[in-house]
Amino acid sequence: MTTDHNTDRIADVLIIGAGASGAAVAASLAEAVFDVVCIEQGHWQDASKFPTTEPDYELRRMSSWSINPNKRKLPEDYPVNVNDSAIEPVMFNGVGGSTILWAAHTPRLHPSDFKVKTLDGVADDWPISYEDLEPWYDLNDHVMGCAGIAGDPANPPRSPRQMPPVPLGNDGEMLAGAFDRLGWHWWPSDNYVNTTRYGEGRDACNFCGHNMMGCYQRAKSSTDLNYWPRAIDQGAELVTGARVREITTDSAGKATGVNYLDREGNDQHRQARAVVVAANGVGTPRMLLMSASEKHPNGLANSSGMVGKNLMFHVYAGVTGVFPDHEEPWVGPAANMIMSQEFYETDSDRGFLRGYSYQTGRGQGPGSVARGANVPWGADHHKQLERRLGNTVGLGAIGDDLPEEHNTVTLDDRLVDSSGLPAPKITYRVSKNSRALLDHSLVQGQKLLKEAGAEEVDVNRFSREAGWHLMGTARMGDDPERSVVDSNGQSHDIDNLFIVDGSVFVTGGAVNPTPTIQAIALRTADYIATHRQDLKA
Amino acid sequence: MTTNLDTNLLSAALDRVLPPVDDLAGAGAMGLAEVVVERSRADDRFWDALSTVMNALSVGEFLSEDGDGQDGAIRAVESSDPNAFTLWLDVVYSIYYMQPEVHKRLGWHGRAPQPEGNSMPPWDESILSNIRKREPFWRKV
Ligand SMILES: Cc1cc2nc3c(=O)[nH]c(=O)nc-3n(C[C@H](O)[C@H](O)[C@H](O)COP(=O)(O)OP(=O)(O)OC[C@H]3O[C@@H](n4cnc5c(N)ncnc54)[C@H](O)[C@@H]3O)c2cc1C
Repeated sequence: MTTDHNTDRIADVLIIGAGASGAAVAASLAEAVFDVVCIEQGHWQDASKFPTTEPDYELRRMSSWSINPNKRKLPEDYPVNVNDSAIEPVMFNGVGGSTILWAAHTPRLHPSDFKVKTLDGVADDWPISYEDLEPWYDLNDHVMGCAGIAGDPANPPRSPRQMPPVPLGNDGEMLAGAFDRLGWHWWPSDNYVNTTRYGEGRDACNFCGHNMMGCYQRAKSSTDLNYWPRAIDQGAELVTGARVREITTDSAGKATGVNYLDREGNDQHRQARAVVVAANGVGTPRMLLMSASEKHPNGLANSSGMVGKNLMFHVYAGVTGVFPDHEEPWVGPAANMIMSQEFYETDSDRGFLRGYSYQTGRGQGPGSVARGANVPWGADHHKQLERRLGNTVGLGAIGDDLPEEHNTVTLDDRLVDSSGLPAPKITYRVSKNSRALLDHSLVQGQKLLKEAGAEEVDVNRFSREAGWHLMGTARMGDDPERSVVDSNGQSHDIDNLFIVDGSVFVTGGAVNPTPTIQAIALRTADYIATHRQDLKA
Repeated sequence: MTTNLDTNLLSAALDRVLPPVDDLAGAGAMGLAEVVVERSRADDRFWDALSTVMNALSVGEFLSEDGDGQDGAIRAVESSDPNAFTLWLDVVYSIYYMQPEVHKRLGWHGRAPQPEGNSMPPWDESILSNIRKREPFWRKV
C-alpha cells in the first residue's frame, strides 16, 4: 500500500510515525484537504501471520513477537539502553505503531488529572481541561470503535459506546461480586475491541485471550485498520520502511522537512511546510535531540531544556489469585474485563498523592503460567503448575507516575540502531510516592482476591517490562521556559513544528493513555486545519 | 560461546527441571534437548543463555552426580547467573508446554489461540445492579 516517493513535492504536512497519533492526524488533515505525507520506519502487518495461529506462540512472544524492541530486534526497531532504568519501554514499530500489540483497554483521564497542581500541589496543571478534549475523545471512540457502557460513577458521563462491553466471563463476574461486597467501585472496561462487527471488514472478537500478539480476527482496533485506510483514501501518502534521521530547518529556524533513510538505506530528503512528530514518548525526544544543529545545539524545539525530561511510564504491580476450582479463565481478551477506580484520587490518609486504578487480567497458556510466580522448577513444578493453569485471575495496579525532571530520554553515546543512528538511553527511577501507592495497591488487591475466594495470592511487587505508556518528554504548557509545546501541540520555538504523541502529557493519570493521546492528536489536527491554512500550498 | 553443545548434559538437566510425572517422561527423556538447541539457535539471546548454563554445568561432573547433586549444580548456576538461567528456563518451559503429550496430560486444549478462539456467554447487564446504585464520585475541578 506504500505509494511511490515523490521527492520534489513540498507536502503541506509531513508526519513522523504512523502509530496511534500519527494516523489520527493523517486522516484528519487529509480529510481537511491538506497534502499529507507520513514517514514510518516499520511496515504494514499481515494479520494472518500473527503468531497466535501457531502452536509455538508462547515461545515467539519471547523473541520475534516480543513487546520489547530489545528482544524483538527487527531491523525497523531501535535498541533502547535501559541499564539505568527501573522500567523497560515496550512498543511496536510499524503501520499502526504500538496499537498492533496493545491490549486496547481505553479509559479516559479524569478531569482532576488535568489540574494536579491546583488540587494536590504537585507537578503541573495542563493548559487544557477534560472538557477541551471531550469532543475529541468522542470522535476517536467513534473511529476506533469502543465497546463499553456509559454510566460509570467514577467518571463524568460519556456518550453511548459504539458496542456493548466485552462479556465479563465467570472470572470477571467473580471479581465484580467481590468488589460489590467490599463496597468498592468497579465498572466494565472501555475497550477498542469489537464485540459486534464494526468498521470496514472487522469482525467481532472470538475471545482467543491473546490480543497482545496482534489480532488475527481484526477485532482489536489498531490504526492500520481504520485511520490509515481513511487517510489513504483521502490522498495521504504513507512511506514505509523509511527512517527519519533528522528534522531539517532553514536559516530562520523553521522546519523545512526531514532527512530520512529509505528502504535501501539511501539518504532522502522530503520537504514540507509543517512537520508533525508522532514517534511516541521515546521516539519523539530522540528525534528532536537527533535534529540538533548549529542553530539548535540542544536539539530542536528545546529552548526550555525540557525535551527528553519528565519521562513518565505509569508504574505497575499486581496480585494474582489462585482459584483451584475455577474453570477456563483464560477465555476473553487479556486485560479487558473490569476497571476499579476506588483508589484513583488523592486521600491524605493513604500516605501518597494521586492514586491508581485496578485492571483485571486473565490467565494465560501453560508456558506463561510456568514462567510466572511461585511455579518452581524441579520436583514441585507439576503440582504448582496444575494448581494455577486455568485457575488464576490477576489484578494489576496502574499507578499515577508523577513527572520528575531526572527521569529522562537522552541519546546514547555508543548504542546505535540498524541505520547507525544513536539509540535512546532511558534514565528512570521509581519515586517514593509511586512505591507507596503500589504498596497500598498490593495490600488492597490481596484483600479483594481473598474476598473473591482466592486460596493463594501471588504478589508481583513491581513490573519491569511494563513501559507501555510513554509520556511527558516534550510536555505542553503555557510557559515556553517550562514546556516544549503550547496547548495546541505547536512548538513554542518553531511555529510549523507540532508534537501529538504522549510526549506532550503534563501528568499521566492512572489510566492507559491512548484515547487521550489520540484525542490530543485530533485536536491538534483540527487546530492546524482551522487556524493554519497558511500551511496549505 | 559453546558451539557444540553436549545434548546428553542438556537432557539430564532438562530431566531435573521438568522431571517425569505420571506416565510422562521428563523433558530430557522426551527428546526435547534437540528442540531446545534448535530453537535457541534462532535467537542470540536464547543461544547465549543456553551456552552460559551449559558451560557452567559442564565444569563439574554433572552426569555422574545423583539427583540431589544435579539439583545442587543447577541451583548454583541459578544463583551465579540468574538472568541467563531464567531465560534458559523460560525457553525450556515454552518448548515443553508446546508438546501434545504434555497438553494431553494437563487436559489443556493444546491448540493455537486462533483461528478457533473461544466462546463466552453474552454480556449481561444485570451484573451492574449493585454498582449502579453508587452516586457519581469523580472529583470535580
Ligand atoms: C504491549 C502493549 C500494550 C499496550 N496496551 C495499551 C492499552 O491497553 N491501552 C492503551 O491506552 N495503551 C496501550 N499501549 C500503549 C499504546 O500502544 C501507545 O500509547 C500508543 O500506541 C502510542 O501512540 P503513538 O502514536 O504515540 O506511538 P506509537 O503507536 O508507538 O507509534 C510511533 C510510530 O513512530 C514510528 N517511528 C519512531 N521513530 C521513527 C523514525 N525515526 N522514523 C520513522 N518512524 C519512526 C514507529 O515505528 C512507530 O510506528 C500498549 C502498548 C504496548 C506495547
